[in-house]
Amino acid sequence: MTVLDSTALTADFWAAAARRELVRPVCRDCGHSFFTPQVACPACLSEDWVYRPSSGRGTVYSATVVHKAPSPGFTVPFGLGVIDLEEGWSMLATLVGDRLPQIGSAVEVTWVERDGRTQPAFAEATS
Amino acid sequence: MNLSGVAVVGVGVTPQRKRSQRNSLQVALDAAKLALADAGLSHTDVDGIAARWPGPGGTELAPGSADWSTLLGVPLDWIGDSYPQGVPALLDAAGAILTGQATTILITGGQAGVLGGGQVASYTRPGNEFVEPFGAFTAAHFALVAQRHLARFPHARRGAAEIAATIRNTGSANPEAVMHGRGPFTADDVLAAPPVVDPFTLLDLCLASEGGAAIVVTTLERARDLPHHPVVVLGAGMEWMRQQYVDPPRYEQVWPIGRRAAAKAFGLAGLGPCDVDVAQLYDVNSLEVARQFEALGFCEVGEGTDFALATGIGPDGKLPTCTDGGLLSFSHIGWGAPTLKIAEAVRQLRGQAGERQIPGAEVAIAAGAGSGAQYYNLALLGRAR
Ligand SMILES: [Zn+2]
Repeated sequence: MTVLDSTALTADFWAAAARRELVRPVCRDCGHSFFTPQVACPACLSEDWVYRPSSGRGTVYSATVVHKAPSPGFTVPFGLGVIDLEEGWSMLATLVGDRLPQIGSAVEVTWVERDGRTQPAFAEATS
Repeated sequence: MNLSGVAVVGVGVTPQRKRSQRNSLQVALDAAKLALADAGLSHTDVDGIAARWPGPGGTELAPGSADWSTLLGVPLDWIGDSYPQGVPALLDAAGAILTGQATTILITGGQAGVLGGGQVASYTRPGNEFVEPFGAFTAAHFALVAQRHLARFPHARRGAAEIAATIRNTGSANPEAVMHGRGPFTADDVLAAPPVVDPFTLLDLCLASEGGAAIVVTTLERARDLPHHPVVVLGAGMEWMRQQYVDPPRYEQVWPIGRRAAAKAFGLAGLGPCDVDVAQLYDVNSLEVARQFEALGFCEVGEGTDFALATGIGPDGKLPTCTDGGLLSFSHIGWGAPTLKIAEAVRQLRGQAGERQIPGAEVAIAAGAGSGAQYYNLALLGRAR
């Protein structure tokens, strides 16, 4: 069921990504960072939230390697992980690099082009 | 009347195939006819239906969606838009029956004519903008959970492979299974199979196949007048957590998913894990079977694979599990697959499972979903006394 146009919630995320800036929703009432974007903050149900920049630095919570392409356009194998960002939120994203990050690896955001869009990926932190 | 006043009186499972020549609505109707015939009932006896997919009672206007009341040619007193089928639909139906909204409810569904070749099945790939661009799919979400577990308990990798081999060998012997005659497999075969998403190989993971499954639910009182020994709902429970396959699962939260549902189900039934004779667990992957033994209270966290090996989960073991070959070998038909678990449990409890009958089966688990899905449900079914 479609209750609202989800692009209204996420357009600013992808606009920031196009500028190679990682952002996440932050609640203006309680300060909670959350992801994926929702109509209201899952901590206090306030609809008063805004996108704020993330450092793009974090830790790999879980990591796997995909060996079978889920759909055309994916080159296998590729890394996939859940990243805990240092502002206290997490997201699913591709893992990249000559040395693929593992569970517990310190990572930083990098940017990849796919289907004409700039999207986040994470690589071993360089510093 | 309490939950155990509700009985499953008909089961229908169509031929299960890798690819069917029929469509989803046709196999749902095929399964419905089989279940009604099994129950000794006519479609005109049905006054309620839970058949979300291919479409509930006329609430979806998309091409191919079903108006079940028109299709069955009968007015209905109750419609359940149950998601998915299996235990959630059974509990919806039980609620409707126990509150007097309907007396005879048909639960039917399945998938056919929807699977292409080559890539991962389309229904396992959400089109979500925070999933699809990163190449995630349902098995990958389960893999992200499994990787955390195996970092804690590395020995479970080989034990999971043993579980996959056992269930696949059970299915290999079942003429109705999609993978009938494939095998036998060993744990080494499972570990050496082509990798799909670490830690899982092709043989660790369930099928994506086509077919229909249906059950008919009514009161135990009515069930006493029908052809087969009634199978009643002794207890059941559900858990739901976040949006499946979009928000990434957290191992610490989802590895135990099912613990509260199982406590509720066993509490309602007045039974414990040691009373279960056959376990139709939701075997979307090998490790998920071990996880359910842990979450449902058969053993402690980290001991699921050891429990399976020590107890024996094959047809000759102390706890025969996925006795038709499960999702790994029998069939997995999308949102209709959980109904297959109830159908096999009912057949075993009636003593009508043919060559795969487990002698003396009186209490069965039928389960649905799992850790990577971030929801779980189970029912305890038993022969009526
Ligand atoms: Zn808030």
